[in-house]
Amino acid sequence: MENQDLYYEKDFLPSIVRWGRGTNLLGVLFAFIPPLVCTAVYGIWPGWGPIFAGFVMQASVSGVFWFVEPISYFNVLGIPGTYMSFLSGNIGNLRLPATVAAQQAAKVEAGTGEGTVIATIGVAVSIIVNVLFLTIGVVLGAPILSLLPANVITVLNNLLPALFGAMLAQQFVPHPKIGTVAIILAGGMLLLMKYGFLAFLPGSPSYAVIIVAVFGTILIGRKITESELKKAGSAEK
Amino acid sequence: MDYMSIANSPLMWLACGLCVALVIFQAALFVRKSLIAGKKLGITNEQIKSAVKSSATGSIGPSLVILAGMISLLVAMGGPVSWFRLSYIGAVAYELMAAGFGAEAVGVTLGSPEMNATAFACGLWVMTLGSIGWVLFTGLATHKLDKFRNVLAGGRKEMLPVVSAGAMCGAFSYLSLDRVVLFNSQTYAAIAGFVIMAIFTAYNQKANKKWIREWSFCISMFLGMAVSIPFI
Repeated sequence: MENQDLYYEKDFLPSIVRWGRGTNLLGVLFAFIPPLVCTAVYGIWPGWGPIFAGFVMQASVSGVFWFVEPISYFNVLGIPGTYMSFLSGNIGNLRLPATVAAQQAAKVEAGTGEGTVIATIGVAVSIIVNVLFLTIGVVLGAPILSLLPANVITVLNNLLPALFGAMLAQQFVPHPKIGTVAIILAGGMLLLMKYGFLAFLPGSPSYAVIIVAVFGTILIGRKITESELKKAGSAEK
Repeated sequence: MDYMSIANSPLMWLACGLCVALVIFQAALFVRKSLIAGKKLGITNEQIKSAVKSSATGSIGPSLVILAGMISLLVAMGGPVSWFRLSYIGAVAYELMAAGFGAEAVGVTLGSPEMNATAFACGLWVMTLGSIGWVLFTGLATHKLDKFRNVLAGGRKEMLPVVSAGAMCGAFSYLSLDRVVLFNSQTYAAIAGFVIMAIFTAYNQKANKKWIREWSFCISMFLGMAVSIPFI
C-alpha cells in the first residue's frame, strides 16, 4: 500500500504537473494562432485601440473568474482534471458534471488519489463527446442546425438547471449537514445579490457568491466533521 | 471580399485544428498516465468502464446545449472558429459575449448585416485575449492549489474528502440555486432534477445498483427538463 501511494505522489503527480504546465502554457501560445493567421496572412488588423477596448470590456466581466473558478473547482477536478478542464473550457456546464458522474459510477471519492485518476477519465471522455458533437454541428452547418424548432432550444435551456440540481442532490444525500450549510450560504448570497445588496462590489458580484458558497462550506463543514469526530472519540473512551 | 470566405478558409481550419489537437493530445496523455497510476492504486477495469459509460452519457446533454449555442456563433464567426472556441478555453456563453465585445469595439453588432472582416478579426482577438487568463493561471498555479487544499484541510489528510465534499456542495449549490432564484421554469427544472437524483441516491445507498450509478445523472437531467416543460 505504501509503495502504491508513493508512486502516485512521487511519480504520477510530478509528471502530470510538468506536462500540465507545459501543455497549458503552450495552450496560451496556440490560442493566438487563429487571430494571428487572420492578421498576418489575411492582413486584417482592427488596430490596437479596438482590440484593447474589447479586451477591457471582456476582462471586466471574466477577469475575476480566471482565478475564482480554478480555485473553487480544483477540489472536485484534482490536479490533472484542472489542467484539462481549463484548457478545454466549459467547466461548470460540462467538465464538472462529467467528473462527478465518473466518480459516482466508479464509487471513488473526490479528493483521494482514486478520485483524481477517475476525474481525469471523466474529463477526457467529456472532451471526446464534446468535440464529436461540435464536429457534427460544424459539418451540418448553421443552415441545417437552424431548422431545429425554436421550442426545442427553449426546452434545452432547462437541461442544465436540472443537471445542476441533480449534482447537488448527489452530494446532499450522503452529506446532509454540509449540504444544508451550502444551500444556506449560496441561497443567502444569491438573494442578497438579486436584491442589490452586493452592488458595492465591483463588476457582477457572482464571484462573491461562489467564494462564500465554496469556502464557507468547506470551513464550516470541517468544523462540523471535527466536532463529530471528537464526539465519536470521547464516546469510545 | 466576403469575410466568411476568410473565416471558412482551409488555413483557418488548420490554425483552429492545431488548438483542438492540443486539447486532445493532453487528454490522451493524461489518460494514459492515469490508467497506469490507477492500476497501482487498485482501480479495477470494471470501475474504469463504469466511469467511461457514466461520463459519456452524462456529457451528451450538456454537449447538446453547447451545440445549440453554436448556431449563433456559426452564423457570426464561421465554422472553424466556432468549432475551435467551443472545444477550447472559455464556455459557450463566454464566446458569444467576447465575439460581441470585439465586434462592438469596431462599431458593429455581432451577426448583423454590417458584420465585416474587421469586426470578425477584432472578435477573434478579444476571444483569445479574454480567455488566456484561465489557462495561464492554471498552467502556473495548479500545483500550488494542491498545497492550498492541504491548508484548507488543516494539514490533516483524513479531512481532504471533507474539503472536497464541502467544495462540491458549495459549487453545486451556487450553480443550481442560481437557476432556482430566477423563479421561472428553470426553477422547476432545478428542483425536479434535485428530487429525482435525491431519490436515486438515497435508494442506491442500500441497493447499490450499477445501472443507477451509471445512468442516474443522464436520467435526472432529461427527466428534470421534461418536468419543467409545462411551466415554460
